[in-house]
Amino acid sequence: MKGLFHVTPSGWAGFALAAFAVLVLPGISSSYWLSVFTSASCFLLAIAGVAFLYARLGMVSLTQVGLMGVGGWIALRLNYAFDFPFEVNLALAALSTMVFGWVLALPALRMRGLYLALVTLMAAGGLEILFATFQFPNGGDGFWGVKTGSSDPFRRPFLAQSAEDYLRYVIICAVLGFVFIELHRRLQPGRAWALIRRSEASAMAAGVNVTLYKTWAFGITGLLGGAAGALLAGSLGLLDDGTFRASESVMIFALAVVGGARYWQGALVAAILYKVLPALLNIWGVDADLSYVIFGAGLLHAVITAPDGLAGQALQGLRSLLRGKGRRDA
Amino acid sequence: MLEIRNVTVRFGGVIALNDVSASFGRAVSGIIGPNGAGKTTLMNVLSGFVGTQSGSVTRDGQDLLRLAPHRRAHWGLRRSFQKEEIADDLTVYENVLVQIDHARAVSGSKQAEVETMLELVGMASRAGKLGADLSGFERRLTDVAKCLVGKPRVVMFDEPAGGMSVDETRQLGVLIQQIHGATGAQVLVIDHDVDLIREVCEETLVLDFGRRIAFGPTDDVLSDPKVKAAYLGTEEV
Repeated sequence: MKGLFHVTPSGWAGFALAAFAVLVLPGISSSYWLSVFTSASCFLLAIAGVAFLYARLGMVSLTQVGLMGVGGWIALRLNYAFDFPFEVNLALAALSTMVFGWVLALPALRMRGLYLALVTLMAAGGLEILFATFQFPNGGDGFWGVKTGSSDPFRRPFLAQSAEDYLRYVIICAVLGFVFIELHRRLQPGRAWALIRRSEASAMAAGVNVTLYKTWAFGITGLLGGAAGALLAGSLGLLDDGTFRASESVMIFALAVVGGARYWQGALVAAILYKVLPALLNIWGVDADLSYVIFGAGLLHAVITAPDGLAGQALQGLRSLLRGKGRRDA
Repeated sequence: MLEIRNVTVRFGGVIALNDVSASFGRAVSGIIGPNGAGKTTLMNVLSGFVGTQSGSVTRDGQDLLRLAPHRRAHWGLRRSFQKEEIADDLTVYENVLVQIDHARAVSGSKQAEVETMLELVGMASRAGKLGADLSGFERRLTDVAKCLVGKPRVVMFDEPAGGMSVDETRQLGVLIQQIHGATGAQVLVIDHDVDLIREVCEETLVLDFGRRIAFGPTDDVLSDPKVKAAYLGTEEV
């Protein structure tokens, strides 16, 4: 049997790509691209969370960007209220959002499929209204901490004061997020989730506490979303309610499916489509809304030809290519 | 002794089980009956997926009906489904491990026990194969191995021979007869295949339209005119 920390070829490819991104990418990026890549990496972490929930349990959460907003709000609130270092704010924001994810899981335990998706979408809509009404803390007084004018400084991590270092920091956090998910998949929870997805009755017959494991999965999704929101807050030093609309949650879920929810490459494709593509269109002087057309084409392509998403299709193609080559060599 | 007392189940106006009682005391017991007789309902009552209007099910002083379904598994109840429930993206080994992950009473290492039971059902050499790559019979064998790990007390099979060839059914019968010796568990088999029941079960309960129409040693039960009538629709052939 393979060990818990066995690294698959796909895993090595991921680590190699992350190493390249950490070592090379910040050095060759302008400040515009630094901010694009940092925000793409934050969304990568959030997409990993929502893709995980869909791939492992077949559950659709349309609140992920709302959960990022919750994590970001908590991180900003803590930043202006206390003198904690960034890591403490990040951890507290992620953990609080995890608890929020558990609350969100309550309806999930009774509903599935379309109904669950609708409940999470309503939660996202509720959060959108709260963010629009109360805004994000920027150093003002009181509980909501909002003032007019320029916001107070946001403390970045001690290790990552510059924009280049902060991009590296966020990429490493995203990699840790993927490793966290993969370790879960290989351990007891991953096996329980696989059986729950197969059938809840068989999971119960195997002694799996279905309620507990579904709640656990929602907690992980919340944890990753919250961490992503706190990291995004650190990138910009402030957050805008326009970022966390319910429609964005729907968008990143759809892109996670287009990319391929079962693969890290799929989450990466989704993050690139969501953040890097519009930035590229911007630079080329094309209306960034064109990206919606491309998303739509990607979705149609995935629905018609690629049930495992673009990443699944590409990996499948790569595998059959290698197999064909192996046969010719033999 | 698995004691089923006066179990009644209604689905709206339909009485799926009508005051059914039976005390299963042998190593392997069978439950047979025509389609719609209530066999699977009785198994679902035992595993907790269907609630009862009245009645009790006790074994070793434990009233099973008081426990949530997953707690019955912790207690030592195992069951297979008509369609084998093997997760496609887990290996054979992991599919069995998931059962013992949540078992309370394990002697020695979980890994060792999984390997022993895979050896017993003859799947040890294919332990690393993914569920998706298994044949129907391999999936069934993996399902049997799942039922054997973690010190089971009662193992129930719901039509295990469905879709199997004659030869596979015979192999499965031999395997089912080894379960009591290997684990100490009591086995209940539901099937349409009267030959399989005659082969492996020492005692048999016959249900028809939710009622018990016969219970006792298998050979006596199968030669009972009432049982023949239930199966063939006439008094005597």
